[in-house]
Amino acid sequence: MFLGNLESLKYFLPELAITATILLLVAAHVASKNRRSAAPALLSLAGVGASLLLVGLLPGGPGTSLFEGMVALDGFAVFFKALTALATIVVVAMSMDSAELKDKSQAEYYIFLLSVLLGMFLLAAATDIVMLYLSLELVSIPSYLLAGYLKGRARSTEASMKYVVYGATASGVMIYGFSLLFGLTGTTHIGEIGRGLALGKATLPMFLAAAMVTVGFGYKIAAVPFHMWSPDVYEGAPTPVTAFLSVGPKAAGFAVLVRFFYTVFATPDAAAGMWKFSSVDWPLLFAVLSAVTMTVGNLVAINQKNVKRLLAYSSIAHAGYMLMGFVLLTPVGLRAILFYLVVYLFMNLGAFYVVILVANGTRSEEISDYSGLGSRAPFAAVALSVFLFALTGIPPFSGFIGKVYLFAEVINRGVYWLAVVAALNSVVSLYYYARIVKVMFLEDPRESAVLPVPAFPRAMLCLLVLPTLVLGVYWEPVIRVAADSVKLLAF
Amino acid sequence: MTGPADLIFYFVAALTVASAILVATLPNIIYSAVALLFSFAGVAGLYVFVSADFLAATQVLVYVGGILILILFAVFLSNRISTVKISNPVHFNWQAALLCLALFGVLSYTAVSTKFPVKPGLSYQPTTAEIGELLMTRYLLPFEVASVLLLAALIGAALLSRPEGEKERSADMEEPK
Repeated sequence: MFLGNLESLKYFLPELAITATILLLVAAHVASKNRRSAAPALLSLAGVGASLLLVGLLPGGPGTSLFEGMVALDGFAVFFKALTALATIVVVAMSMDSAELKDKSQAEYYIFLLSVLLGMFLLAAATDIVMLYLSLELVSIPSYLLAGYLKGRARSTEASMKYVVYGATASGVMIYGFSLLFGLTGTTHIGEIGRGLALGKATLPMFLAAAMVTVGFGYKIAAVPFHMWSPDVYEGAPTPVTAFLSVGPKAAGFAVLVRFFYTVFATPDAAAGMWKFSSVDWPLLFAVLSAVTMTVGNLVAINQKNVKRLLAYSSIAHAGYMLMGFVLLTPVGLRAILFYLVVYLFMNLGAFYVVILVANGTRSEEISDYSGLGSRAPFAAVALSVFLFALTGIPPFSGFIGKVYLFAEVINRGVYWLAVVAALNSVVSLYYYARIVKVMFLEDPRESAVLPVPAFPRAMLCLLVLPTLVLGVYWEPVIRVAADSVKLLAF
Repeated sequence: MTGPADLIFYFVAALTVASAILVATLPNIIYSAVALLFSFAGVAGLYVFVSADFLAATQVLVYVGGILILILFAVFLSNRISTVKISNPVHFNWQAALLCLALFGVLSYTAVSTKFPVKPGLSYQPTTAEIGELLMTRYLLPFEVASVLLLAALIGAALLSRPEGEKERSADMEEPK
């Protein structure tokens, strides 16, 4: 059931709200002479907040396709829209606190941020490869600009440049894959592509297309071997942007990965939820991708001296953990990915928030400069420890519950070796996360001056610590929403 | 398989591929840009052969007329013009060559061996009206979203080229008296 263009508009209010905010930002930027005022940040907070509210009000019925089949309005899309909007709100708050961005022109930054958000909304909902590609570029191109926002700094420019080159390559490969799919089926709608592929028996081009499309999506979620850009980009970009890239586009990447493969390659009776086209051993392929991603991420993270780089590798490792839920393409596994993304949002953004606050005071992101943070800024240090232990996956923090769900599905379906690899990886990750905690609390401070943490960031940190702790003991509503969202994934 | 049309097709295809190879291998970026011109023009020719007249015209206007000129200007205006000779260093890397050859083998085997469903009876009709209608009906949303993307890219380009520092900026902003 496709809705026409005009009828679709009333279901498109969140996206319209973001677009209107972008245009308002442009107008406000032209009108105002003060380029450093906080007005753009507040305006974007209001815009994204309104959009989040509208997302919450929208009914996400299954099977409703908007704009002649370009985007779907289903529970899955609504889930990811809420997730990415929430991440953006936190990132806007972070950006207001960041000293790096203080003396930069503000309006453009928020214009790019909101453009990426619009792209993520559309990417999570796209059901047509034309729309899918366009929204992927809408996520990517403003991200390149955000990564290079600190124009004077060579590292930031380098980050932007690397991001562009890798991004362009990944897009090109992905488009080639799409062209094969279009050639095989003669349609751009992913539901019809799935039905068309089921009729034919062309294994090689189908496999090739799937592999090439995975390159494009794998680049967005920073899965090994498409991760090469991420450490440099994460280190060079302004820290709020790094936090944003490690959560927002990664979540949107998972959304499009799941929607695309689930629609095209899963058997229609989703209760069994298995891969069709058994001529290719899909579970093994993605299990290897997952295992390699988490192992490389964790092993390289051990030696990092820079917190942002360490978190970059850790976010690669987390992409690997989340891919565990994707291996068997079952609704239960996908539900685990969605739940983990919620948990990951709070703990990862929280960790980056503390990194920003510390960098505001010390002008440094080296781990050695975190020595004695426990006495200099006890609140921030304790918060960071909570986030790091949650990232490790230690009970009672929420990261543990997220991992339990991811492990459970893999074990239930008998892929034991992957569960063992993931467990070993968690142990490795404990080492480098705990090392930061050790530096903060057990080493003597180099300076004794107290690092001030103002009231607003303090409140924001509380808001991020709270879900990280609460979801570790009472997670039932979130997992139910995640399960419903997967169930409502429209074909 | 033979006929004047086929001969022209093979000529255009060869031109496209050969100049694309030159783009990657020529040591001087100016030469590369000129080779790119022929590659772009060749692609426009290929579009003509599949009856995509609008696409062919767009290819000429946007890529040959716009992007290429921009690339040339960027090269001419960049301040390292004196070292332009080494601007496109070619290192022959046998691992990369092997990988590319393997990929080429797989892709071309796929293209040849797969029975793609072909729409029968290619007719050379103008496509512009149909594309216009589709852009306003089925593909309206992508069409509109593209405008947001272009707006962001435009602002980004302005931001990148704007001089840093307060002095230039205020001079920039001053209104003519």
